[in-house]
Amino acid sequence: MPKRVIGTRIEAPDPSSDVAIRVENLHKSFRLPTERSWGLKQAIFNRLRGIKGYKDQQVLRGINFDVKKGEFLGIVGRNGSGKSTLLKILSGIYYPSAGSVVVNGTLVPFIELGVGFNPELTGRENVYLNGAMLGFSNSEIDAMYDDIVKFAELEEFMDQKLKNYSSGMQVRLAFSIAIRAKGDILILDEVLAVGDAAFQKKCNDYFESLHGNQTVILVTHSMENVEKFCDRAILIENGEIACEGSPEKVTKAYLKLWS
Amino acid sequence: MNIPKVWNKRNRVLLKELTKTDFKLRYQGSVLGYLWALLRPLLMFAILYVVFAKLLRFGSDIPHYPVYLLTGTVLWSFFTECCSQGIQAVVARSDLIRKISFPKYIVVISATLTAVINVLINLVVIIIFALLNGVTPSWSWLLVPILIGELYLFALGIALFLGSINVKYRDISSIWEVLTQALFYAVPIIYPITMIASTSSLAAKIILIDPIAQVIQDIRWSLITKEAVTTAGFVGLGGELFAIALVLVVLIVGAIVFRRRSKFFSEEI
Repeated sequence: MPKRVIGTRIEAPDPSSDVAIRVENLHKSFRLPTERSWGLKQAIFNRLRGIKGYKDQQVLRGINFDVKKGEFLGIVGRNGSGKSTLLKILSGIYYPSAGSVVVNGTLVPFIELGVGFNPELTGRENVYLNGAMLGFSNSEIDAMYDDIVKFAELEEFMDQKLKNYSSGMQVRLAFSIAIRAKGDILILDEVLAVGDAAFQKKCNDYFESLHGNQTVILVTHSMENVEKFCDRAILIENGEIACEGSPEKVTKAYLKLWS
Repeated sequence: MNIPKVWNKRNRVLLKELTKTDFKLRYQGSVLGYLWALLRPLLMFAILYVVFAKLLRFGSDIPHYPVYLLTGTVLWSFFTECCSQGIQAVVARSDLIRKISFPKYIVVISATLTAVINVLINLVVIIIFALLNGVTPSWSWLLVPILIGELYLFALGIALFLGSINVKYRDISSIWEVLTQALFYAVPIIYPITMIASTSSLAAKIILIDPIAQVIQDIRWSLITKEAVTTAGFVGLGGELFAIALVLVVLIVGAIVFRRRSKFFSEEI
């Protein structure tokens, strides 16, 4: 297996700095298997014939930006532009191929709600499991358990298995756990769009309460949310920053992509 | 590697929750539930006992042969369960690995801990069985947990090494399954090692420097009868040290390979 060059992602707490995240010259490429190189036989075969068995797909090509402490940053872009990959690198799920990410403080990512949720466990058990995934101890969850259940409006269902919940109920539960997470930096991917109108309002109120008190990076397709919540935004196109600046400027550039 | 950082509070909580979940889910939907963890090695023992001890008359020269056989089957089940669950662990937990960042070794340990709980409960069954069979308690019983620990580290090393390769090449778990079947006959579980030694002393020595055989024979020696042939006794102290060194080498190599490859699990899975 040829050695892969990798970039760095470090968590370096530095209270004196007002930068929460610094991204420098970030590159990411994925190895996509060309033909059916899944499996040992093909791998040995490819090596004998000198075939690589994969091709490199460039997803991010040199991204640079800073996020200031307390800033609400929006990231927008078309499907496949590299937003989610960027988010996953910031969250430490993927490793950069080159360049660096410096995270100043603790970072809580919500790439998806309800990570670890298991349909065969009860609502209560899932709260503890998901909470552990987010970095809470049992006693911390004990302390906020009642609030979570109340916010999710699921008081009577907590001892039922999750598979008997409607999808709306599952999302409400997951969201209610997520918003308890305390980190210096929150990363959110499209989680605004959950639940019915009443629950959406609760979610919106929560996001408004974050504004100004919390460093947030939000990835979304909703230009309305960008203008409502964000202090600054970034438009990503083809793995590069196509536009950066005020929410108005970036939403305009985003809408121009189709004109 | 920075041990205090790796073993921090968040990781401990996560390990505990994942192990609890694995344990709860493993026997869900079965009527006897957790009892299967006890029944499986016992039933396997019953079959082997009837076929080999009663029909083929193995082990008539070994005192407490039924306990001897039961100990072997329980330890073998423990080893194979640890390996197979551990090798599958990363792939089985792909839902988590794709969505959140955490040290990946936690899923391997949590998957194997269920087997550890099982073997400890089975150990109680073995001890009851041994006492009923007239085995007298001895101080050497205290060695048993240490030896089980050695077997666990060996299985963990194999699981880390093969599990990290299994992410990309799923053939590994199938190959391991077949290998396990073959390995079963290369370890003195059903046959007494003396049977091999009487035809070829060299073959018996080769069998005994395998850490699995070393642990099983040492546990039989500590727990049941001092007549049990051990690696140290038959091959010499060098053989015993070789087996222990092999465990450490497999564990260290497994950990290094796993650590290096785990950076790409989320993409390859």
